[in-house]
Amino acid sequence: MITQLVAQTVVNGINVGALYGLAAVGLSLTFGVMKILNIAHGEFLMVGGYLAFWLLTLRGIDPFVSVPLVAVAVFLLGMICYRFLFAGIARFEEETKVKNSLLVGFGLFLIVPQIARLLWTADVRSITPKYSGESFPLLNVRIAYVPLGGLLIAVVVILALHLLLTKTYFGKSVRGTSENWKAAKLMGINVDRTYLFTFAIGTGLAGVSGVLVGLTQALTPDIGMEWTLKALIVVVLAGIGSVGGAFFAGIILGVVEAAGAIFMGPYAVALGLVIFLLILMLRPQGLFGNE
Amino acid sequence: MLKVDQIDVFHGDLQALWGVSLEVGKGELVCLIGANGAGKTTIVESISCLLPPAAGNIWFNGERLNDKPAHKAVQAGICLIPEDKGIFRGMRVLENLELGAFNPDSRRLRYDTFKFVYELFPLLESRKNQIAGSLSGGEQQMVAIGRALMGRPKLLMCDEPSLGLAPIVVKNIFAVIKQICQSGVGILLVEQNVRAALKLAQRGYVIENGRVAGHGDARDLLNDEKVGSAYLGTT
Repeated sequence: MITQLVAQTVVNGINVGALYGLAAVGLSLTFGVMKILNIAHGEFLMVGGYLAFWLLTLRGIDPFVSVPLVAVAVFLLGMICYRFLFAGIARFEEETKVKNSLLVGFGLFLIVPQIARLLWTADVRSITPKYSGESFPLLNVRIAYVPLGGLLIAVVVILALHLLLTKTYFGKSVRGTSENWKAAKLMGINVDRTYLFTFAIGTGLAGVSGVLVGLTQALTPDIGMEWTLKALIVVVLAGIGSVGGAFFAGIILGVVEAAGAIFMGPYAVALGLVIFLLILMLRPQGLFGNE
Repeated sequence: MLKVDQIDVFHGDLQALWGVSLEVGKGELVCLIGANGAGKTTIVESISCLLPPAAGNIWFNGERLNDKPAHKAVQAGICLIPEDKGIFRGMRVLENLELGAFNPDSRRLRYDTFKFVYELFPLLESRKNQIAGSLSGGEQQMVAIGRALMGRPKLLMCDEPSLGLAPIVVKNIFAVIKQICQSGVGILLVEQNVRAALKLAQRGYVIENGRVAGHGDARDLLNDEKVGSAYLGTT
């Protein structure tokens, strides 16, 4: 009985944690490479969720099929936002850059939910394909198909991102720019273009997480900030600049929250903030960060 | 090959250079000497298009570089090794070298260039999978030079390559710079170690307070009384 409870809690925690991780990776990427903290990260996630909701309800497209479509759409949306809102900021020195990007991010946080309310109303939605809610038993744990699919997608996306960053010339130029943008310029890397693509990849990842969030949790126009904060906790927990680290940190947070929910009920959400504070005090570079 | 014509350069509101002109030919080794803060680094940074000049022109093989973005200067064949070496410290030595060949032309030829660089610095081949930040200062300077060569530059600018290195390492680095120059690459060397630089170079420019205070054959400068008393410690 106890082992069943523990196993079920861990499984649930991993399912939610994979979403935290995926949401955090995009934020971590933009922050690590551009030193821009995109407070509106969660808004892109919310938009991604609603796009998948539309595709399912209006066109009958399965949410798992719509993942790449949404990724591309939110990627393009991110490009446009970067081009018109963030590109001007990227030229400033680091401190001004962080401050101004926060302002722009908060601006988006005020505007985007209103647009979402116009487009999708304030009703609570969720993406419910026919098979949602179905599950199968494994040993004595019940595994639901939808979160399992979400977990697989998250793992595949993270692996793909890791390969992109370590194996391709483009990825290496992104990491080089992140380490030392001035040297990157001297290598002939078009840093402005790298920033544009990095930002768009970050928002695209948020879009993918949005689809998975819509599949397993409630979708309202106001979930954006909540997910930005979750992602921020995970980024702090993992440390900047580690893709795999952000994913594992997400899973840690998910499992801790799921375990906490048994004892603390709804107050388990506060555990994330406790972890946030503890990490900042005891290990400010994060669990997987260097220096 | 490189012709800098009467450039004025500002750092924000502060003017750093006044009417600086200089030239570097193909396969020529030219050095810039001058005190700290004279504007030597500003000169090489404007040539590599990090700081566009407010007035004057920078010509490279007939192409006007003034307001071009920095990656265009690299594509034209200009490479700067900055004073802090600009190593990607968290990346492997091999990845550093690969990024040196980022622009499409040199990327196509990178396997040949790798051979050349590894011949010049055999140590880099044995250390290629090491994280660049874990290397010693001299080894990092080798990475910086090797990485610069990966871009097949026509003009290589070295900003204080001897900074913080042991004398024996400096000697090696200078020998390599000479070798690179003999292979037909133009070199603009910024150096605090004035005597060594003038012995190595063919020509030199003396920079004082953002202006060219004098130029000439390196040997003449070495024997020049004014240069001697100001930079070489002789009276």
